[in-house]
Amino acid sequence: MSSVISAKGLSKRYGKRTAVDGISFEIPAGRIVGLIGPNGSGKTTTLKAALGLVPFEGELSVLGFDPRTQRDDLMQDVCFIADVAILPRWLRVSDAIDFVAGVHPRFNREKAERYIASTRLTPSMKVKEMSKGMIVQLHLALVMAIDARLLVLDEPTLGLDIIYRKQFYQNLLEDYFDEHKTIVITTHQVEEVEHILTDLMFIRDGRIVLAASMEEVGERYIEVMVAQDKISAANALQPLDQRTVFGKQVMLFDAGPGGTSRQQLAALGETRNPSVADLFVATMKGSYA
Amino acid sequence: MNSNTMKWLLRREFWENKGSMFWAPLIVGALLVLLVGGTIAYGIAAHGVPMRITVNGQTMTHGGLSAALSVDTRATVAKLATGMYLMTASPLFFMLIFAVFFYCLNALYDERRDRSILFWKSLPVSDGMTVLSKVATAVLVAPLITMALATVASLALLFIACAAFSLQGVNMFGSVLASPDLYLSPLRMLALLPVYVVWALPTVGWLLLVSSWARTKPFMWAVGVPVISLLILKWIDAALDKISGSPLAIMPYAQEIAARILGGIVPGIWFSFKEGIPPGLRPTEHGIDGGSLVTGSYATLAGMDAWIGALMGALMVYGAIRLRRWRDEG
Repeated sequence: MSSVISAKGLSKRYGKRTAVDGISFEIPAGRIVGLIGPNGSGKTTTLKAALGLVPFEGELSVLGFDPRTQRDDLMQDVCFIADVAILPRWLRVSDAIDFVAGVHPRFNREKAERYIASTRLTPSMKVKEMSKGMIVQLHLALVMAIDARLLVLDEPTLGLDIIYRKQFYQNLLEDYFDEHKTIVITTHQVEEVEHILTDLMFIRDGRIVLAASMEEVGERYIEVMVAQDKISAANALQPLDQRTVFGKQVMLFDAGPGGTSRQQLAALGETRNPSVADLFVATMKGSYA
Repeated sequence: MNSNTMKWLLRREFWENKGSMFWAPLIVGALLVLLVGGTIAYGIAAHGVPMRITVNGQTMTHGGLSAALSVDTRATVAKLATGMYLMTASPLFFMLIFAVFFYCLNALYDERRDRSILFWKSLPVSDGMTVLSKVATAVLVAPLITMALATVASLALLFIACAAFSLQGVNMFGSVLASPDLYLSPLRMLALLPVYVVWALPTVGWLLLVSSWARTKPFMWAVGVPVISLLILKWIDAALDKISGSPLAIMPYAQEIAARILGGIVPGIWFSFKEGIPPGLRPTEHGIDGGSLVTGSYATLAGMDAWIGALMGALMVYGAIRLRRWRDEG
């Protein structure tokens, strides 16, 4: 079993609306996958299916378990932060640590306490006395101290200020992640996660439109600052996207097999790797219309 | 999944509901001791033992009271007092009904409303364990806390009364402490807990089912569904009676079902479903027979209806577990 998550023809319908439309994908172990898509594209539904929170059609295996029938076994090795989950208002920091330590065999109490110590949280504090950011800090401290084989983070840093967000991703990479673990992240702040991702998955209207490792993406997509006199030549090569930066045309090309070659593009102007955000915008064109 | 997980789940429930399950009865119990005990103590200290008191049909005046209270009479008074002293804490049991009712109603609803269910479900704790911990909290933990507080409060009241009497030269301590009922009463109350569990299950199951199902207003659904269906049945019953002269045969059952899914958590309600309060419980000149409370209560379990209700309750609990497992909160 090399795949942590393996989906074949995964579908989920809410009444007449199809949230996830027969997608298939594989997520191998030891990867950090960014699942990126606009609101309502089906990314949260896909994750919920994988976590056994919603019924679905098709085949889905997570760590070798069927999330529909083997959720209790699955949850021994999986941890997640759901998109807008909230900790209950009456929960005290010390009680939260005691509880998770009591029920989770893979919880490292020291680690959680160390994370908490780096925040302004105190053990006797109740969730109802915390700011939104502090609640997220507590939640992250609890989850990061769990040695899970699969960690699913759906908008984990929503409501955090930028300093803590950066620190969180730093910790995630240095302190948490190793080759036996797999992390799936969805976020709106793509630029904050792109440097830690190993794989990208773009999802749109319930379908996967791009699934590739970051190396593949780097090889395949090229952004060119097109020189003024070569614009028509560049247009002829059918760029995926173009925009204007400081009066200069920036075009995005697919240099994959069957596409434009690197040499051709280098002749047009200065080339570089596009950011995930730019790639995302180009890929999702039209879905916001 | 083990007993350790269950221990933490029960603790979790207690943290969340400390206010209604512990602090509220503690405060009311303390007030009871202060106000009622204070009134007794003040009344007796300031005005003395009542000038005229009727014991065994004989009216005595104050002067003769102490002398006239034979050892036998004192024993009878002591038996009455030690057999019934727990009744002084009945406000606590009254509060327990409401505490358990609203606890069950919100147990699976609040976590969905504030979405903290997604946090609980991110831990390796099954839905079955979680819901069972809530059942155990409703039928065991909450009643046990109330029983403990009620025993302490009513013992305090009994001793305050004894102390007040002894200040007036009427020493009741000896006969009260010598009365076996003093020690047996709390044990009898404890012995009733299994009976309580059986009769409370239909109500607890129903409330938890509604709690895990209702999108909004669980109270309206929990109370509205049985009451409105009963009203509709009554109306059909009356109409049929007028037209054909034969009322609905299911009417008595419908009434009992409604009563049992809403009132099962009332301590002692089992007597109202059966023959009524056993004769031994009516106070006589020999005090009350506390033992017959226990035997009478267990006798209500002899019929099938108690167990059919408990089975229905268990099925509704199972329904609540399935709903919690698959309910999608969007």
